[in-house]
Amino acid sequence: MKKRGQGMACMWYPIGFTVAANPSSAVVKLDEDGTATLLTGTVETGQGSLTILAQIVAQELGISTDDVNVVSADTDATPMDTGAIASRTTYVTGNAARLAAEKVKMMLFDVAAPLLGVKPNQLEAMDHKIVVKGFPQRNMHIGDVANHARTVTGEPPIGSASFNPATVALDPETGQGKPFGTYVYATQIAEVEVDDETGDVEILRIVASHDCGTPINPMLVEGQVEGGISMGVGFALQEEILFNDKGVQMNPNLTNYIMPTSLDMPEIEVDIVDNYDPSGPFGAKGVGEPTLVPTAACILNAIYDAVGVRIHSLPATAEKVFNAIQAKRDAEPKQITA
Amino acid sequence: MVTVTLTVNGETRTAIVGGETTLLRMLRDNLNLTGSKLGCDVGDCGACTVIVDGKPVNSCLMLAAQAEGRDVETIEGLASMDRVHPIQKAFEECASLQCGFCGPGVIMSAKALLDEIPNPTIPQIRDALGGNLCRCTGYVKMIEAILLASRNMRGEAVQSIR
Amino acid sequence: MDKKPKVAEKDSSVESVLKDPGILRESVASPLVTYPIEVVVPKARQQTPAVGQRATRLDGRLHGLGQTSYIDDMTFPGMLYAKIKRAGVASARIKSIDTSEAEAMPGVMAVLTGKDVPNNAFGPSLKDQPVLALERVFHAGDPVVAVAAVSEQIASEACEKIKIDYELFTPVLDPLESLKLETPGVHAPSANIYQKKFIKKGDIEKGFAMSDHIVESQYRTQMVEHVPLEPHATIAMWDANGRVTIYSTLGRITLGRADIASTLGIPISRIRLVATIVGGNFGGKNEITTEPVLALLSKKTGRPVKSVFTRPDEFIASTTRHPLIMDYKTGVTKDGRIQARKIRLVLDGGAYCSWSETTLSKACILSAGPYNIENIYAEAYVVYTNKTMTGAMRGFGAPQVCFAYESHMDEIATLLKMDPLELRLMNVFHEGSISPTGQKLQSVVVKESLLRAAEKFGWKGKGSGTSGGKLLPKDIIDATTVRV
Repeated sequence: MKKRGQGMACMWYPIGFTVAANPSSAVVKLDEDGTATLLTGTVETGQGSLTILAQIVAQELGISTDDVNVVSADTDATPMDTGAIASRTTYVTGNAARLAAEKVKMMLFDVAAPLLGVKPNQLEAMDHKIVVKGFPQRNMHIGDVANHARTVTGEPPIGSASFNPATVALDPETGQGKPFGTYVYATQIAEVEVDDETGDVEILRIVASHDCGTPINPMLVEGQVEGGISMGVGFALQEEILFNDKGVQMNPNLTNYIMPTSLDMPEIEVDIVDNYDPSGPFGAKGVGEPTLVPTAACILNAIYDAVGVRIHSLPATAEKVFNAIQAKRDAEPKQITA
Repeated sequence: MVTVTLTVNGETRTAIVGGETTLLRMLRDNLNLTGSKLGCDVGDCGACTVIVDGKPVNSCLMLAAQAEGRDVETIEGLASMDRVHPIQKAFEECASLQCGFCGPGVIMSAKALLDEIPNPTIPQIRDALGGNLCRCTGYVKMIEAILLASRNMRGEAVQSIR
Repeated sequence: MDKKPKVAEKDSSVESVLKDPGILRESVASPLVTYPIEVVVPKARQQTPAVGQRATRLDGRLHGLGQTSYIDDMTFPGMLYAKIKRAGVASARIKSIDTSEAEAMPGVMAVLTGKDVPNNAFGPSLKDQPVLALERVFHAGDPVVAVAAVSEQIASEACEKIKIDYELFTPVLDPLESLKLETPGVHAPSANIYQKKFIKKGDIEKGFAMSDHIVESQYRTQMVEHVPLEPHATIAMWDANGRVTIYSTLGRITLGRADIASTLGIPISRIRLVATIVGGNFGGKNEITTEPVLALLSKKTGRPVKSVFTRPDEFIASTTRHPLIMDYKTGVTKDGRIQARKIRLVLDGGAYCSWSETTLSKACILSAGPYNIENIYAEAYVVYTNKTMTGAMRGFGAPQVCFAYESHMDEIATLLKMDPLELRLMNVFHEGSISPTGQKLQSVVVKESLLRAAEKFGWKGKGSGTSGGKLLPKDIIDATTVRV
């Protein structure tokens, strides 16, 4: 018989390295057509960080994502970066990129101010223009300002910056301290269907409500949540490296190491919680790792709701679930029907 | 050594390979078509999926010699100098690929599906992708993109995703 | 096949090309470098302001065309292929290595062992990992010999011909065994417990005394692998000025370059490290693997050298996720307020430290969950075993402890006959809450995430499943304490 159940899990997760300094540096230069180049030491591993960083730089300079060219991951050409790890790229590298772009913007303001007859602090950058605040008709195209800087003032706009999250070391005996600059939060809720004759668990749907501060690119946040959930599904129900008694792996291949295929995935609804973290670039935090943190827990809680068995070890394979159901049946006092 | 002559993306190609060389290695090493990827080399992950005589196959499981005289389509054959294939366009618009490594294999499986079933259901799409492993995306935006591409290919009104 | 354009392959003879007027010099249908196709920029990429746009990715088009260049897609003139011979035994002393037959094979250009590595030790915190194992082997995936040959196949065959004589030891496989002081050290004379962490907040015994119920449970998680679709890959080549360029799938190049410099005993300025677009990392490509070995092979042969992990290598020779054994004991009042939580975590730290220090810290700090708890005691240990090295994997211990603390919350909810949502809302962090490490939290939205998720899901209150949600304790310790 198939039984349905619901289960939830919430979580918290930090952004950045534990206490240790994990800085990132960035360089932004603006060319005479008003497009920019970002140099960053980070590595694109699929999460879309280069696109996000382009959006952050573009936002700061008032230009579009497509106007920012990103050069990355070359120790000869790009500044240092602690790496694409610990969900830190949007927050740490993003802050560095934004600060570098801000320096470029200030240089542009210094150049444009006398041309527009105002002080630099009366200017803002938006929609490819340097604009007098409150007087949008008084503006110059950003490319013209950059060109003027290069050919007349003699100061081509380029800026570099670093960022490192603020932390306080932990006391070795009590663990008290401030290990991370910021944290993110999330809840995932799963609906499952368990076949109590086989122990098979089908995940019907998952609703995932994630905080990432400001979502720089909601489409890429969704992609991270969906991908993280697929890893969480595998962690919950399928994946396990098995060793023999000599310490040699028995299934070092994708035939016998089972991981989720398109057929194993539930319907996923992604919800981004409204939030703004003032310490992040435009309020953003991060999302790379948190996406799989609560998945196994909510699935296992849903299994309990469906068939009343608590699985205490992962993965909750069909065999394990079935054995637990059997054990529960055996433990229950027999009902004598009247 | 054996000489293999076959059709790849509409052209006659020839290569001299060892008897045990797979179609995947021949495509990548001899014909310089590196779009099909090597993820496991034993037919588990689907990153090497190409279409042979209309059917999607794991090219790491087919010997080059077995492809003699056959009609092979790889990812490189989908786009032309003027335009990307509708499936590739949909994948780009939907952000269906993240690291991209499984992408060519997934797209070829999708093309094989749409060639056979122009209006697939979601379960049919899941089934068609069942042999392609992806670790980054959870497959969700791939399925969205294949639905979008199938609509576009059938000439229905182009829908923007959001 | 008659009507189809015929392509003259690279190795076609000039005569054959001249004889056949219909033959093409280059392939037309599959250009390898395409020029602007449909120069239409998707709208979201052109919008300002840029933040918040559903902009398509910079690399999306190339991915879909199969034109993204991963390391295995790259070739250089004269490039050699390297294969690594791995131990195959979990714990052993290496008595001798005989590479003579391999070296004599035609097509084999260089063979290296640990004695060829200037500084044969590295690691993100403890430098306990060898580039090539020389005296001792600590897990079955330990690299022992590296071979560079003109083809992958010859390199693999050469590895088969290498004879290594081992003195086998009994491997330590159970982390709880490893935790015991009397168990011989895996990395003797170092202790098996190689890192510890403690968190003390409030007064744990007082907290339990104030509780109406105490719930105890143990949870375990398994070893899993990142399974990036792209295996680890590296290419190394030197120039005549004595600089080595290394293309690698590493996720962190600044620190990677430092590790390569220290193992090779050369200044960092002599190394250029370039990471391509990587086909998935998830934490598994955050430390060096074959980079120093390839640099040495390239130097010895004077040619570029490439190495790509096989899929089995990915499992046995790259890092994995720490299995955890987690003991939780929570005291609650009968209306559901958590008074105290005591936690013990034992992490299976595998053969080498790798990123265990970070994982241990994070797991310990996060272990109590996002809950306002006055009295917390958490202790965490990571121990060596002779299993595959455990390192950074997406979440660093958080998925494991979340499984534990959220299962535990539901067990409490069942005991108290409370809706799991209500129990969480009662205890969860809010703005300004103090974390287990005494940090005042800001920008806290866990309650919002619970309520939003519940609403979108259509969460039904307790007892919505068909099981009736009854708790069956395994042991009843006393009137107030149950072990579930």
